[in-house]
Amino acid sequence: MSIALVETKFFLPHAREDLLARPRLEALPWVRRSRLVLVSAPAGFGKTTLLAAWLANPRGKSAARCAWVSLDEADRDPESFWSYLLTALERASPGTGGAGLSLLGAGQPIEAVLTAVLNEVSVLAEDLDLVLDDYHLAENPGIQPGMSFLIERLPPQLRLVIGTRADPALPLARLRARGELTELRAADLRFTDDETGAFLATVTGLDLPEADVAALGARTEGWIASLQLAALSLRDRDDPSEFIAGFAGDDRYVVDYLVEEVLDRQPAEVREFLLDTAILERLSGPLCDAVSGGTGGAKMLESLERRNLFVVPLDAQRRWYRYHHLFADVLRSHLLAERPEQVAQLHRRASGWFAEAGEPVAAVRHALAAGDADRAADLVEVAIPDLARDRREAVIRAWADQLPDEVLRDRPVLGIRLVGGFMSTNEFDGVEQRLQHIEELMRRPVDEVVVVDPDDLARIPASLAMYRAALALNAGDPAGCIVYAAEAVAQTRADDHLTRASAAALAGLASWATGDLEAATAGYRVAIEGLTRVGHIADVLGCSLALADMELTLGRLEQADRTLEHALALADLHRPAGGDVMRGTADMLVARSRVAWHRNDLSGAATYLRRAEDLGESAGLAQHPYRWRVALARLRAGAGDLADALDLLDQAERVYVGDYSPQVHPIHATKARVLTAAGDLSAARAWAREHRLAADDEVSYLREYEHLTLARLMLAEHRTHPGEARLSDLLKLLDRLLTAAESGGRDGSVLEIEVLRCLAHRASGDADAALAALEHAVDLAEPDRWVRFFVDAGPELAAALAELVVRRPHSDFVRELVRQAAPGGLPVAAQPAAFPHDDVLLDPLSDRELDVLRLLGSDLDGPAIARELVVSLNTVRTHTKHIYTKLGVNNRRSAVTKAHQLGLLVRPRQP
Amino acid sequence: MKTPEGLARSVCRVNSDPSDDDAGWYEISIRGRLEERWAAWFEGMAIDAGQAGQTIIRGPVVDQAALHGLLARLRDLGIPLVEVRQIPAPSAPDDLR
Repeated sequence: MSIALVETKFFLPHAREDLLARPRLEALPWVRRSRLVLVSAPAGFGKTTLLAAWLANPRGKSAARCAWVSLDEADRDPESFWSYLLTALERASPGTGGAGLSLLGAGQPIEAVLTAVLNEVSVLAEDLDLVLDDYHLAENPGIQPGMSFLIERLPPQLRLVIGTRADPALPLARLRARGELTELRAADLRFTDDETGAFLATVTGLDLPEADVAALGARTEGWIASLQLAALSLRDRDDPSEFIAGFAGDDRYVVDYLVEEVLDRQPAEVREFLLDTAILERLSGPLCDAVSGGTGGAKMLESLERRNLFVVPLDAQRRWYRYHHLFADVLRSHLLAERPEQVAQLHRRASGWFAEAGEPVAAVRHALAAGDADRAADLVEVAIPDLARDRREAVIRAWADQLPDEVLRDRPVLGIRLVGGFMSTNEFDGVEQRLQHIEELMRRPVDEVVVVDPDDLARIPASLAMYRAALALNAGDPAGCIVYAAEAVAQTRADDHLTRASAAALAGLASWATGDLEAATAGYRVAIEGLTRVGHIADVLGCSLALADMELTLGRLEQADRTLEHALALADLHRPAGGDVMRGTADMLVARSRVAWHRNDLSGAATYLRRAEDLGESAGLAQHPYRWRVALARLRAGAGDLADALDLLDQAERVYVGDYSPQVHPIHATKARVLTAAGDLSAARAWAREHRLAADDEVSYLREYEHLTLARLMLAEHRTHPGEARLSDLLKLLDRLLTAAESGGRDGSVLEIEVLRCLAHRASGDADAALAALEHAVDLAEPDRWVRFFVDAGPELAAALAELVVRRPHSDFVRELVRQAAPGGLPVAAQPAAFPHDDVLLDPLSDRELDVLRLLGSDLDGPAIARELVVSLNTVRTHTKHIYTKLGVNNRRSAVTKAHQLGLLVRPRQP
Repeated sequence: MKTPEGLARSVCRVNSDPSDDDAGWYEISIRGRLEERWAAWFEGMAIDAGQAGQTIIRGPVVDQAALHGLLARLRDLGIPLVEVRQIPAPSAPDDLR
C-alpha cells in the first residue's frame, strides 16, 4: 500500500437520535431492490444523514455488510480513490478487496484490479453495500473509466450507493431502463410541511402554530440545513412567532440570515472561536488551541456538538470533528469579510501545528493557503525522505505540481527530492532537464541557493548520478546505467547509505540484465547492507529475493539459503509488536521452498509453501501469487501430478505481475517442461515454435532457461523418435550452453547442463563422455548438496549414477544420490508426504463443492459459474460459503491455493 | 516537468489577461439576496442587487475551470442559479466595484 489511509474516512456517521424518522424515504431503496442508489442533491438536504439512517436501520431486507467511504478532494487521485474503496470493501467483507489492493499497488490496470474484486464479490454468500459519500468531491475523468467498469458489472451481491451534489458522469441508462436504479433528488429530500412541523417540534420542543410552520416551510423551501438553523434560532426565544415573521419577510440568502441569527446570539468567545477555526477542514482540541491561541478547544468542541452547533464528529472517540459544510462556508465568508488580514496568520498557525504533529500533508496545504510558498517548500523539502520511505510517492508527486515554479528555481535539495517523486511514478520526461538545472544551482555560491539543511547539498552530486543511472536503465542502456551508478557510489558520502544502496541496486539490476551475475550479486549485497542501515526493510526483502535467485544460478545453494534466512530474520525483527508480518515475508518463504526443493527436501519445500499461504495476501509482494503457484506446480510435477501442475501454471499466468527484474524463468518455459515430462511433445514443440527457439540459436544468459527447456524437449523427442541428426544438434546446443554458463560462472546452470549432457551422451552411446559430464555435475553438486537435478532426470540418470558408484566407491554423496534417484530406492510414493496429515480436512468437500471449487480457480464470475454448473447463483453462493468454512479461508484465491495444497484438485473427478 | 494540466494551470495564473480566448467577464444571476460580505469569498467579484429579489455576481474569470469552480461554490452554498452569461469586458473595470 503506497497510501497512508485516513481512518476517519471509513467512519460511518452515527444516525443521531434526535433526528426525524422519514419513513417515506427510509424504506425506499431496499424495497425496490436497486443495484445502484443515487442520492443527488445540493448541500444541506440531509443526504449523509439519510444514508446513515438507511444503513443503521435497513428495512425489508436482511442486514448487509456496509463499506463506507467519505470521499474528499484528495480522492481525485485514482490511486487514492481506489485504495479507499477497496480497503473499505476488504474491511466490510474480508477477502474481497485484498487481491485488488495488491494489484493496485503493483500498478496494474484498473480493469484487472476490479475484475479481481468483482470475481470475489460475485460468489459471496452475504450482500454488501458500498457507500461513496460526497462523490462530487472525487469525481473526475481519472476515476470515471473504473467506475463505469464497476457499474456495468455490478454483481447481484453488491449494491452501490452514491451520495453527491452533482450528477455523476456514469453510464446509468441501462440500470435506469431495467429499473435497477433508485434516484433521490432535492425534490424528494425536501421536508414536506408535515415533516417540517414534526422536525421543528422535536428539535425546538415548541408547539408552533400551523401558520408559523407553513411560513418557515415556504421561506426555506423544505431545505433541511436552513430548517436546522432556524430551529437553533428558535430555541430559548420568548417570541418565536415574531422571529418567524421577521425571517419570512426578509429576502436575504437563507443561510446568511440564520447563521447571523445564531452567531449573534453566541457569547463573544464562541463567535471568535468559530471564526478562528473556520479555516480548518477538521478540528481537534489541541489544533483549535494552536490556531485560536486559546486553551479550551476540546471543551468548546464538545459543547458545540452538545448544542448541535453544526459540528460533525469524525470518530467514535470524539477527538476529531468537522464543521457542517454549509456552516463552514458561511463562517469563512465572515472571516474573510471581517478580518481578512488574519486569515494568512491562522493558516500559518495551523500549518505549524500539523508540522509539529507529524502531518506534513496538512501542514503543506495550510502553508500554501497562507500564501507562504517558501514555508511550504521548506516543509516539503524536509518531509520527502520519510514519505519516500513509507512509499507515499503520490503525495510527493502532487506537491511538485502545487509548489509555484518560483520557489523551485533556487532550491537544489528540494529539486533533487522531487525528482525522486517523478521517477517513482514513472515520469521520466523532463527529468534530465531538472537534473541539469540542479547541476547549475550547484555551481553557484552556497549563499545564492535556498536550502533547509546545507549539509544536504553534499549529497546532491551522488543523487544526480544515481538518477541518471536510473534514467539510463529505463532507456534500455544498462551499460550507461552501470557507469553512472559507479559514479554515484564514488560520489556518495560515507553516511549517505540510501543513495549508495540505491545506486548499487541499480548497478546490480543493470548487471543482471546483461548477464554479469558476479557484478549483479555484488551490487545487490551492497544495496542490502545500506538499505538495512536506513531501515528500508521492505526493499531489503525485494533485493534479497533477487540476490537468492542469482545465487542459485551461480550454484551457491547454501549462500542463497543464508541470504533468505537473514532477510526473514530482519523482517521478523522489524515486525511491529503484535502487528502483521512484513510484506515480502511470504516471498522469502517461497524462495526458501525452492532451495529445499533443490536439496530434494520435498516436505520442507511443501511446509514453506504452506507457511507462506497461511500468512495471507498481505504478507506477499505483488508477484507472490504467481511465484507461489509456480513453486507448488514444481512440487506437484515432481510428485507426478502433471495435470495439476499445468493447472497451477495456467493460474500463475493469470495472476502474473511483472517487475523490473529480467524474466529469466518465464512461466511458459516451465509449462513446456511439464508438458515434456507428461509426454505431450507436440504441445511442447509448439511452445518452442511460438517462442522462436531453435537448437542453433545464439545462447545467452537471459534465454538460458528456455534453451535448457528446449534441450529437455529434444532429449524426449529423441527417445520417442530416435534420429542421429537431432542428437548431434542437441549435443552442440548443450556444448554452447556449457561454454556460456562456465564463462559466466553460473555453476547452477552448469550443473543442470552437465546432467543433460550425460543423458545425451548416453543416448548417443558415448559412455565415457557421459560419465565425464556426470562427474563434473557431481563435483559441483556435492559441496552444497544439490540433489533434485539428479532425481528429476529419471531412471536413465539413476543408471549412470549406479555406474559412478563403481568408480567412486568411497563417495557418500554419490551413494546418497543413487539412493534418492534410484527408481526402486526411494519411489515417489514412499517419499515423505508432501503435506503433513494434520492438514486433511475434518469435514470433506462434497462432489458438488469440488466442482464449484474447481471453477473458483478459473476467471469466471459467480453468474458464469452458475451457468457452467447449470445451477442458480444462490446455489453457487451457498456452496462457496461452505467451501470457505471447510477450508478456513475467506476468498476465492485462498480457497483455490488451499485446495491445491491439500491435493483436493489433483485428479479430475470421475464422471 | 509538470503534467499538461499543471502546466496549463500555471500558465493561466500568469496569463490572466481577460482578452484571452478562455478568459472573460461573466455575470451570474442567483435567486435571493446575497450580502456584499461574500465578495471576498468569491475572490473579489462584485456583488449587486438585481431585479426581483435576485443577486448579480459580476467579474473577470480567468478560464472555464475557474468559472466552474465559481459555480461549484454557489452549488455548495445551496444557492439556486438563475442565469450565467458572458459579458463584454468593461473599459474601466474599476467603475464596477
